[in-house]
Amino acid sequence: MTTSNQPIKENGVITKKDLKRMFWRSLPMEFSWHYERQMHMGFCSMISKGLEKIYKNDKEKLKEALKRNLEFFNITPHISTFVGGITLAMEEMNVNNEDFDTNSINSVKAALMGPLSGIGDSILLGTLRILAVGIGASLAAQGNVLGPILFLLIFNVPAFILRYVCAMKGYELGATYLHKIQSSGLMQKFMYAAGILGTMVIGGMTNELVSVNMALQIGSGDSATLIQDVLDGILPGMLALVVMGVYYKLLDKKVNVMWLLIGTALLGIVCAQFGILG
Amino acid sequence: MLQALLLGCIAFIGKCDLATGTNMIQRPIVLGPLVGLVLGDLKLGVQIGVILELAFLGQVSVGAYIPPNVIVGGVLGTAFAITTGGGAEIAFTMAFPIALLAQAIDNVMFSVVRPMLGRLADKYADQGNVKAITAVHMGTGFLTCTVLFLITFFGFWLGGAQIQAIVDSIPPGITKGLSIASGMLPALGFAMLARMVMNKQVVPFFFLGFLLSAYFSIPVVGIACLGIIAVFLKIDFTTNNNTSIEAEGGVDDDDF
Repeated sequence: MTTSNQPIKENGVITKKDLKRMFWRSLPMEFSWHYERQMHMGFCSMISKGLEKIYKNDKEKLKEALKRNLEFFNITPHISTFVGGITLAMEEMNVNNEDFDTNSINSVKAALMGPLSGIGDSILLGTLRILAVGIGASLAAQGNVLGPILFLLIFNVPAFILRYVCAMKGYELGATYLHKIQSSGLMQKFMYAAGILGTMVIGGMTNELVSVNMALQIGSGDSATLIQDVLDGILPGMLALVVMGVYYKLLDKKVNVMWLLIGTALLGIVCAQFGILG
Repeated sequence: MLQALLLGCIAFIGKCDLATGTNMIQRPIVLGPLVGLVLGDLKLGVQIGVILELAFLGQVSVGAYIPPNVIVGGVLGTAFAITTGGGAEIAFTMAFPIALLAQAIDNVMFSVVRPMLGRLADKYADQGNVKAITAVHMGTGFLTCTVLFLITFFGFWLGGAQIQAIVDSIPPGITKGLSIASGMLPALGFAMLARMVMNKQVVPFFFLGFLLSAYFSIPVVGIACLGIIAVFLKIDFTTNNNTSIEAEGGVDDDDF
């Protein structure tokens, strides 16, 4: 066992103490959540101290790392540390390896966040929380203050342990496997694989989490048909794909994101006014 | 007045749930007793809290779904139940317009204000200012805490009827419009992410993931599993194990 102030891996700089710090900094993960990039600020803030340490000799690379870790992120907050640990391991790899493609960091994050959220939500929010409510509620119904206290304990003790373990294991797994991958000369293939997986998950999430619905109908009275039903018959979620494609093109044309945000809000209001979208 | 202030503080603390590890202190089962304590009837607070907890059981933020405001609804629902002496249901009817108002304000925060603050964080990232990013992140959260404090304070002070009048005076087009915008905004986040992750070689897999989800309703976990299979079909990990990176290079170099 290494002491908490020694780097966990040779050639690395991240120590157990850094991971503990990341654990504490992960607590406000959801605090600044919003629709567009969701937990991005929480994620960047969580690993920012680690990034500062990894890139302490290279301010330019630190800036890039901060920017790429401010991209879209969303996960069950209690297991966010797992992705944080893996990300730090990859960032560390990036310092020591000229060939490392930094885009693969976001591919890996994208590939992990969707599936882990699915699993995390159903275990923590779906099962553990309901269990805690069930036990807490039966006591609380009699006016017993132990009810709420038990509720908090049953949910939080496992949740906090999980959050801590995820921080340690995420980094360890990331660092160990990345080292193996690199030494066996598979880094290029690994990055290609991460690209495939990440892209595919983004595709799935685009359909699952973006919702755009036509409210217009053709015809009137009993023979009226909702255009949305027609679109669903061709390709469900078609409009989500179109919206994503339009954003993608506009970003390609270097349109300022601020305008896209304002434009989206205005478009929403106009479409609601005329009953185009619903 | 003092009670209204204290109730506002409870809502503030409730929202800090998200700053302390999403540990569920925002749930009515926890906030109810606190409200009871403020209003001098702890036992009733615990009992009303649990009734509202069960009513709100499904209202938990999963993925991108934002529920009606549980904090404002829970605090004021319990408070009105105790002060009016009516059951939780009647009290909740009084609290509901305020919870709706809070949800409308949440929507403005989540779809307009916070994404803009996100741009501010981008700016600090450009300067390599680590502390400022965290400051924007935490400030964004505390801003919402303060808003909830104010809604709860005025809600208790003015009462449900007054708030109903305010809710009615908001043009429906605006609230509806923002909720439409909030459905589209994640696409912007994904587009920004995709611009980093995607290159010409992997574009088809974006559509594969999308179509699997759209036509077959496969959840993201399933898509990731299929993705792993796609990786093994596409990339041969068994050969070239000992060759250098150069020998198989150029795999990932035509980014656009």
